[in-house]
Amino acid sequence: MLKTKTSSATDLESVDYLKERYKVYKAMLLDLLAGADSPTQSTVLTLAMRLVKEETSQDVRHAEQAWKTGVFAELVKSLIVHTACGPAREEFVEKFVEEYDDVRFYTFYTISNFLSRTDIADKPRADATGNALNLLSSIEGIPDSQDQLEDWYGETSHQPKHQLLSLTQHKKRAQEAWLAVLRSELSKDQRKNVLAIMSSRVTPWFSQVELLMDFLTDSYNFGGATSLLALSGLFYLMQEKNLDYPQFFQKLYSLLDHDLLHSKHRSRFFRLLDTFMSSTHLPAALVASFIKRLSRLALLAPPGAIVVVLPWIYNMLKKHPTCTFMIHREIRDPAARKRLEEEGMSDPFNMLEEDPMATRAIDSCLWEIEILQGHYHPNVATLAKIISEQFTKRNYNLEDFLDHSYAGLIDAELGKELKKAPVVEFEIPKRIFTTEEGRLDRLGSLLSNAIGGS
Amino acid sequence: MPPSQLRALKSQLREKGITAPSKSKKDKKNGPSTSGKDRATALAKIRTEMNPYEYRHISSRPAKFPSTSVKGSYKDVLLRRPGVSKSAGEEVRRKQLLPEMRGRLKSGGLVDRRIGEGDGGMDEESRAVARFAREKSRNVFDLEGSEDEGGDGLLTHGGRAIADLEEDDMRISGDEEGSEDDGFLVRKRQREDEEDEVVDEQPDVKKSKKEVMTELIAKSKLHKYERQKTKEDDDDLRDKLDAGMADLLPLLRAQAAPPPPPPKPVEVPGDVSKINPERQKLLDGMDRGAADREYEKRLRELARDTRAAPSDRTKTAEEKAKDAAEKVKELAIRREKRMRGEAVSDDEEVEQAKDERDDSEEEAVVDEYGNEELGDDAAEFGLGSNVVEKVQHVDEDDFDFDADLVASASEADEESASSDDALDDAVPENDAEEEEDEFVSGIFGRGANAVPIADPNTKTATLPPTHACPRTHTEFLALIKDSPAEGLPTLIQRLRAQYQPSLAAENKGKMEDFSRVLVEHLVWMAEHGQEMKVMEQVIRHLHSLSRTYAIPIAEAFRSQLGSWLERSSSEGDGMGVSKGDLIVLVAIGEIYPTSDHFHQVVTPAFTLVGRWLGLNAGVKGMGGERSRVGAFMVGLCVKWVGESKRFVPEAVRFTLAALGNGGGAVVGEHLENLKGMAELWKGKSAFIEVFEPFIPSLRKLAKPAKSTLQHLTTLLDASRQARKPLMLHHHRPQPLRTSNPKFEEGFNPDRHYDPDKERSEAAKLKKEFKREKKGAVRELRKDASFVAREQLRSKRVEDEEHKKRERRLIAEIQSESRG
Repeated sequence: MLKTKTSSATDLESVDYLKERYKVYKAMLLDLLAGADSPTQSTVLTLAMRLVKEETSQDVRHAEQAWKTGVFAELVKSLIVHTACGPAREEFVEKFVEEYDDVRFYTFYTISNFLSRTDIADKPRADATGNALNLLSSIEGIPDSQDQLEDWYGETSHQPKHQLLSLTQHKKRAQEAWLAVLRSELSKDQRKNVLAIMSSRVTPWFSQVELLMDFLTDSYNFGGATSLLALSGLFYLMQEKNLDYPQFFQKLYSLLDHDLLHSKHRSRFFRLLDTFMSSTHLPAALVASFIKRLSRLALLAPPGAIVVVLPWIYNMLKKHPTCTFMIHREIRDPAARKRLEEEGMSDPFNMLEEDPMATRAIDSCLWEIEILQGHYHPNVATLAKIISEQFTKRNYNLEDFLDHSYAGLIDAELGKELKKAPVVEFEIPKRIFTTEEGRLDRLGSLLSNAIGGS
Repeated sequence: MPPSQLRALKSQLREKGITAPSKSKKDKKNGPSTSGKDRATALAKIRTEMNPYEYRHISSRPAKFPSTSVKGSYKDVLLRRPGVSKSAGEEVRRKQLLPEMRGRLKSGGLVDRRIGEGDGGMDEESRAVARFAREKSRNVFDLEGSEDEGGDGLLTHGGRAIADLEEDDMRISGDEEGSEDDGFLVRKRQREDEEDEVVDEQPDVKKSKKEVMTELIAKSKLHKYERQKTKEDDDDLRDKLDAGMADLLPLLRAQAAPPPPPPKPVEVPGDVSKINPERQKLLDGMDRGAADREYEKRLRELARDTRAAPSDRTKTAEEKAKDAAEKVKELAIRREKRMRGEAVSDDEEVEQAKDERDDSEEEAVVDEYGNEELGDDAAEFGLGSNVVEKVQHVDEDDFDFDADLVASASEADEESASSDDALDDAVPENDAEEEEDEFVSGIFGRGANAVPIADPNTKTATLPPTHACPRTHTEFLALIKDSPAEGLPTLIQRLRAQYQPSLAAENKGKMEDFSRVLVEHLVWMAEHGQEMKVMEQVIRHLHSLSRTYAIPIAEAFRSQLGSWLERSSSEGDGMGVSKGDLIVLVAIGEIYPTSDHFHQVVTPAFTLVGRWLGLNAGVKGMGGERSRVGAFMVGLCVKWVGESKRFVPEAVRFTLAALGNGGGAVVGEHLENLKGMAELWKGKSAFIEVFEPFIPSLRKLAKPAKSTLQHLTTLLDASRQARKPLMLHHHRPQPLRTSNPKFEEGFNPDRHYDPDKERSEAAKLKKEFKREKKGAVRELRKDASFVAREQLRSKRVEDEEHKKRERRLIAEIQSESRG
């Protein structure tokens, strides 16, 4: 189908004609991809990929051209533009991208190429970003070394220095594709998804992790669970790449909200928090704010969270002895003591203050710990007592206390065999739900409400 | 400053009485006259003492050369006499080294091979001893030796000298006279052996004593047999009379008809009529030992026979009330102990637990010293992956249960007569046994002649008088399907009376199964919306059954809890709780003490309640259902912690969320719960932190919450006023870990007190080596100088002789030339 000088006019004509037909066929095929059901999509994909094979099995120059602008580019574009072709996308990733290195290479190329175009409207762009993200995040096989680049879809022999043979070039393409996606507007869920797979699927492609800085900082400023997820990446950059994040601790402090202790990312956060706060050079006022705020949050927290907070507080108090005033404060001044007797003590700690250096937590006391020592769960109550016992242990290994849950606590107890007869209340009550007159008492009415309703 | 030499000499002389001030004649006459010889020795002594070169103070270190160190009087130990030691060394060399040196370049000559000859280390006596010993050891058949010794040759046995043979070989022959030859040591050893034997014999004496005792016993038995033999005629007569006894016995006994009389009458213990033939057998020559054994067996059986025991005195009403009050008090104390999480059980177990705790403390100490902490920190608090129950938890559930059981078994009979059969009795009963009766004895009396008494209050007419005990819930459902729900308590009562464990052995298992069935049925009743009143009665029955069948019922409850957890985990977004779960919670709260620090049933149940509240508080837009169930759960929590005042964060959170949402239909209940919680924890220092967040929601609710708001504000103010800074660490200052100061009696600065034994041993060896080496070098040097001196001397002598000879020759020649 190539025009050559030697070919005759009729040949030229027929070539033109054939090209025209081929174009129409391609367009029809790809249009089918968007609207059809999944078996049809699969057929279309297979057909399209056969065309790709034909197109790319030429000499090097033409093959590259075919990859970049031919039916393959069209196919990838339609795959990421149309949200409906989800099954085809999955199949594409599974059967071609994961299998063939050149397919993956040019997929990355097309995606980054497409997303960096500026002439797309907002709505399609958002769709395309979502789909591209979907496609990219499902790619699992990341090559570690040059030797792994050996599966080719197009039947072209490459020169040794060709970019398809270079791992760096592969990574560069992937990095560009990812950055193109991350630069686009991402919804909250998309952001979370990306952050969740960040370490396993995204960063391995990046030869320059610093490029993720903007994305991570933006995510961290997002607040809530997104911040929690961005934290580890950000910390890595701060530690390794010298990233300067102003008011890091203030931001960290703001993450300690009511949802934190109920969040499923709780243990992940505490692992990081333990690392961040491990420095002994932090100002005591700041540490005190963290301690006080966490113990305040523990007042409404599930046992699984309380058992993390308590040893953490212990470790902090052990590390920052200045903060132990929060658990033991003797007033020596007689005048102040007299005033205390008369007026009592109101908590100087300001929960609403955002700056951890200005909360006055260091002047406060951890009354919350005292009430937690009477927690209904025996293990939690016992654990809370460590704060008021002598600090003889050097520190508690926080890792042992993470990942406890209600189900775990209950299973631990119910899983044990009942060896001893349990104690039985010695007095059998005359009434449980009813009063003397035969009506329901409070518990009875509550129960009948509950039973009646449910 | 030490006195001058002259002054010291003068004072010495004066002391010895050599230069005494002129004495009066009288004194001279009386005083001891010092003879000339004494005077000379005294002077010599003074001379040596005053000579600074004669003595040298030795250092405190031990002697370097044991061979040359001087041993002797105190003074000798303190002082060294270099001159003496030097001359002694010289002497030794002269004796040993000199002959060697002289014979150095010579071959042949006379060699003295006598033992010890030429050995400077042996004196005359030791030489003699060694020689004598050699002579003794010489063999008779030794041809060389035979010449020397005539008659007193030695005997051999098996090529060895008899003296070399073991002593025992000689002993066995029993040659008494031969022992005369034994030396002193041998005799001594023999004596010791004999003493040993005496000691050894003592167990034999004991044994014989024992034998004596057994003989005595045997004799007394023999006498008994004889006496019995004389009574044989009487026994024969009695035997005739007793022949009909076996038939009479069952009639006399209150129990049901006994099994037919056993074919072997021997097996009936204590049956008087059957003893005689046995004895006859004995007399006929039965094995004596077997007879003895039989006799012992019988005796023991008789001793174990129950005797009439004095019955307990009937107590007056006041005494009963007092006892009851005391019991309640004791139980309350136990409850409080359990609430604090202390062990309540037998002393022994407490001690054991303490030991274990000590052990764990020791481990903790090890941790303090920075050793590798391999253990799971969380496991210490029961939070480990393979959760081990804490030590204090293990023991705390033994609530003197057995004592209770025994009491109810023995006292039940007496009280059955007096106990009332009405279920609704207004008189407060604290005594567990009376309550037990209330549940059981309403229908049946005790014993075999029990006759069903129709209860006027319940519809028992439709119930069959006896049923098979239902072992599964389906059986139970089949049983009750025709009877009205109200009759259920009566039915349970009947079944319990019918299958009392005291009536038949298998009843215990039946009742255990029945208890489990009841728990299942309770859930079933709640699911099928049956009347609360009936469920209440079922719970009370379960409570009463729990006294006896605690484990099966607790297991049944725990399995219900487990199924709830499973259901709610798998269900996902649903409410995650069924009516049955709620009734199980109520039952658990009633049957078990909820104030305990840890309880095998209550703790998981409470955690499940907390879980439900925690998971549902976060749900947005709390629906009516959720709010109602939540109100019940929070109400339950408030009730459960009423005594222990434990803190339930989830209840606070849920109520906060519910009130924040407007409270729904049951806002009043939530407010009531809030009030209850506020009352519970008003004494806690964190009261403000817990309850202040409620204020905005309450304000928003406005009217219905007005009184609660007011109440809460008052409590908050009071709490703020009463709040003091936290002082959790009023501990006795912990002393630094000390070890006893190591004090050495008679410390020697030259000794090394190295705690590391190996190192000190090594140091000792090194030092000894160094010392020996130094000594050897010095000895060699001295030897060399001695040799050199000797050589020089001999050379001089030679030279002298040579000169003499030369002079003589010259003189001869000169005289010749002259002449």
